[in-house]
Amino acid sequence: MKNTLRSVFHSPRFVVGFVIFMAILLTTLIYPFFVTRDPLQGLGKGFLAPGTYVSVYDTNTAQTYRVELPEANANRMESIVPMEDRVTIIEFLTAKGVDVSHLTTDNSDVAVLVSQWKENYDEADVKKSKYPGFTTQAKRKALARLDKRLSGNQSLAAMNVTLGDGEDAATTKVADSDYVKVSEVANAITLPLGTDNFGRDTLTELVKATGVSLLIGLIAGTVATLLGLIVGLLAGYVGGLLDDILMFIANLFTVIPGFVLLILIYYSIGQSARGVTTCALVIGFTSWVWTARSVRSQVISLRNRDHVNLSKLSGHSLVRIVVTDILPYIASYVVMAFILQVSSGILAEAQLSLLGLGPKTTEVPTLGLMMNWAKLFGAYTSSNAWWAYFPVILVIALISFSLNLMNTGLDQVFNPALRD
Amino acid sequence: MTKGLKKYLKKKIFWFIVTFIAAIILNFILPRMMPGDPVNAIVGKSISPGATAEQVQEQIAFYKHQFGLDKSLLGQFGDFVKNAAKGTFGVSYNQYPRTVSDIIGSGIWWTIALQLPAILVGWILGNLLGAVAAYKRGIWDKAFMPASLFLSAIPAFGAAVILLVVFAVNLKIAPVNGAYDPGMIPSFTPKFIASVIAHYQLPFWSIVIISIGGQAVGMRSMSIYELNADYVKYARFLGIKDSKIVRYVFRNAMLPQVTGLAMSIGSMVGGALVAETIFSYPGLGMAMLNAIGSSDYPVISAITLIITVMVLLASFLLDIIYAFIDPRVKAAQFE
Amino acid sequence: MSKTMLEVNGLTTKYITRFHEDVYAVDHVSLKIEQGKSLGIAGESGCGKSTLALSLMGYYFPPLHYTSGDIIIDGKNISGMDPDEVRRNVLGTEIAYIPQAAMNALNPTRKIYKFIEDVILAHNPKANKKDIYEMARHRFSELNLPLEALDKHAVELSGGMKQRVVIAISTILKPKVLIADEPSSALDVTSQKVVIKMLRDMMDKGFIQAMIFITHELPLLYNVTDDIMVMYAGQIVERGSAKEMVFDPVHPYSRGLMRSILVPEEGTRDAKLIAIPGTPPNLKRPPQGCRFAERCRYAQPACRYNQMPILDFDQGRSYRCGLSVDELREIYRKEDEADAQAVANPVESDGPVRLTKGV
Repeated sequence: MKNTLRSVFHSPRFVVGFVIFMAILLTTLIYPFFVTRDPLQGLGKGFLAPGTYVSVYDTNTAQTYRVELPEANANRMESIVPMEDRVTIIEFLTAKGVDVSHLTTDNSDVAVLVSQWKENYDEADVKKSKYPGFTTQAKRKALARLDKRLSGNQSLAAMNVTLGDGEDAATTKVADSDYVKVSEVANAITLPLGTDNFGRDTLTELVKATGVSLLIGLIAGTVATLLGLIVGLLAGYVGGLLDDILMFIANLFTVIPGFVLLILIYYSIGQSARGVTTCALVIGFTSWVWTARSVRSQVISLRNRDHVNLSKLSGHSLVRIVVTDILPYIASYVVMAFILQVSSGILAEAQLSLLGLGPKTTEVPTLGLMMNWAKLFGAYTSSNAWWAYFPVILVIALISFSLNLMNTGLDQVFNPALRD
Repeated sequence: MTKGLKKYLKKKIFWFIVTFIAAIILNFILPRMMPGDPVNAIVGKSISPGATAEQVQEQIAFYKHQFGLDKSLLGQFGDFVKNAAKGTFGVSYNQYPRTVSDIIGSGIWWTIALQLPAILVGWILGNLLGAVAAYKRGIWDKAFMPASLFLSAIPAFGAAVILLVVFAVNLKIAPVNGAYDPGMIPSFTPKFIASVIAHYQLPFWSIVIISIGGQAVGMRSMSIYELNADYVKYARFLGIKDSKIVRYVFRNAMLPQVTGLAMSIGSMVGGALVAETIFSYPGLGMAMLNAIGSSDYPVISAITLIITVMVLLASFLLDIIYAFIDPRVKAAQFE
Repeated sequence: MSKTMLEVNGLTTKYITRFHEDVYAVDHVSLKIEQGKSLGIAGESGCGKSTLALSLMGYYFPPLHYTSGDIIIDGKNISGMDPDEVRRNVLGTEIAYIPQAAMNALNPTRKIYKFIEDVILAHNPKANKKDIYEMARHRFSELNLPLEALDKHAVELSGGMKQRVVIAISTILKPKVLIADEPSSALDVTSQKVVIKMLRDMMDKGFIQAMIFITHELPLLYNVTDDIMVMYAGQIVERGSAKEMVFDPVHPYSRGLMRSILVPEEGTRDAKLIAIPGTPPNLKRPPQGCRFAERCRYAQPACRYNQMPILDFDQGRSYRCGLSVDELREIYRKEDEADAQAVANPVESDGPVRLTKGV
């Protein structure tokens, strides 16, 4: 046993897989101690891109410091009217026939460019006149969006800020060299992965979802492996009619593919009864077949070995023979099957949830549910919110990758023919 | 034909028939265990507001009769078998009075046209890569192995979503969803065909990418197993050329891979669900999902029956073909 | 004086492990076989017998690598030849190999005659397939093998039949030297006899000119081969005629081997079975002096530090040991006397492990 473990941990593949898997598992366990927020608490409305969000309100009450950044003005201009927009403005003005030969994209000319734009742009006119280069729908839409952006910021000079919303609100003048320290602002939050469509912190949600999905995989894998092991042992060792019947049932499960069966059973249970545990149990119940088949064929090759025959002649009971003379020989195989079942259980949950057949939706997130929400709320089409789905895909891929690595590592240890 | 082969075939055919019958019964029963009364739903949709209780009862009775739901469960089963044998599968509950065969007919060709080439291309590319990795070994293999393991770890929907986002949403070089431009009417015009081809790319490649990884990993380990086999060493010491030995090895490594191919072709309708959902591709997978959502028993039963028959046939044919092409199976089975 | 079919001088080959360590599994082996003669090689598993068999073929592929030495077959030196030329003109025609596990030696998906076709075409690409088939039939009937076997796959043949088919295929091109690596150890006794008889027939009928027979079962060698060579840790430790080696082994390892195995011959039948304690050394780090010193009952302190050369003695015999032949024979004589007394008055002793027959 000790030697087996040592050789397992000498396999580089297994070790890499194990480290990745444990890193993911430990993160799901430790993270909640640092971020105690409810993972499904909405922090806002709609997708927020990753970044640090600082309260505007609290910024004004915070202590101000004087900082003279030499490129401050340039940065400000660049942020208000980006280079791309300046090019578009010049392109449009030229197309319309306005003389812009004296203007450049330099910061010094931005104010003139913007005022020229406000003078000349009219949505209806653009649609009617079909200026060269702006004949397509997409191009015209781009112009309309640009106009909306430009009309948002009126003044490029120092701004007046109103604090409070009452009539006697004080008016403070903000100079362009006024700065606040982010850590001194009363309310600021860093969202490394932004928020999802419900405004939930995606990172916190993802960690929780990973934990729940791992649990689902673990339950499903245990159920599937136990069922497969019992059926395989009985069919292989007892044989005869029992073998025929069990293999017939296994055949049925193959012929009606697990996925279809899963959907049917899943739907029959109904939305209200579909908790995380039920979901995991159903997945386990539909995926034991291949484990049963492999265990059966291994047991068949074992059952006529000398040591088994010796036990039979000694009058040992079926249970004892199975436990002492058969199980130890297939143990490594069962462990590998279990790892694969965990991995496919996590995937099955994700696919089911994606199709809208996942666990009940309001209490906990799962990786599949996060994918489903991302799909339903257009994260990858209209909103283009990569942070809402890409980390989820990555986590699923990493989990299966680490489990597959562990599995091939074990395979190499226990199957010398595959050794390099 | 030897006695062993005859016995083998008889046994296989017997189990084929028994499994087939059991599968038909399950296909009938399982969808009917789903909650929700479809007739109430249809009546709820079709009836005018302010209808009297009597009118409602009348409507319910009418639809129940139409669908044969007023018969006993056994009678319904008889209708199911009769309709299945005729190939019509009865009338859809949800899209009444459309027939189930019509719904299936409009979806099945999209599914086959999408899945069959994708499965084949993925299988061929994956096996080639796996074989080359096993034969070349060295650094190339060291990089290849973890890469394909990682590739095969990406879930099917993950690959589909990434392709969709990169090529359709950001680069805008492929359409986002559907099988053709929604403004077009299916016809054999060049414009329509071009639209179909453009819509075809992303779902197609999403399936190919996923199957490459898995196939390559499988083929690589099968090939390594065979390359280390004793017969390779013996053939080498008899002076047989390496090129010839490599052909032995890959033929032998390939045979088990054929099982995977046949099974994925057999189960392609189920396998199509994810790609079809992400890309809203109008195949059987989508039809199935819609039917489940609206408790459309006849459609669900018909599609699961198609899946069942396809998988059953694929595994049956495999058993038969293997018995002839792989002497290893032959020796194991006929004894 | 008949002519020498195989002469090997100082052959050294090594395995390179995947951690880039060198393992010298065949270390300066020299041997000579004359036409019509056979040589047996004995030793425990892991002592380099099978590697020697592979190395003698003159055709190396990783992890086995050629280091130095000559292999001369019928006057032609094949070491240093281009590998492709070895493949075409030496393997199968000059020297042939029968693998340890004939069970898996044949491609499971190729029919026997197809495989024979591949073998012949590899050496003579212009050969006519019909002629090859006829030739294979002819050879099979000469060797009393069933002709139906030609049209079968390997998996359809029984173990003994598979082994005989493998022998027939290995010798299809009438190689001068045949190297048989434990051709019978996986078979039942009846099949073993058939296989041994077949190998003798091959010599008698002139399909092969000389043979090396590798086994760990010494009784077999006594019946099959003219000479016996004992290998330990990649080196030859003793060589002599079969009879001398069985009844008068000189090297402590040879004696240990003989005493740990039952030889059903007059004079040895009553001998006790005494296993040699320990296992062969790890060849990644071979011992500095005599490689057997670690397990040798008679080792002197100097044995562990001095390299032992191989020395000739008597007529055509040689051995590798720090003690003289006379010293060794004297030790053995005393030991045998003590044993005989122990048999006469059995007492519980904590001497060397004594095994009973059959274990």
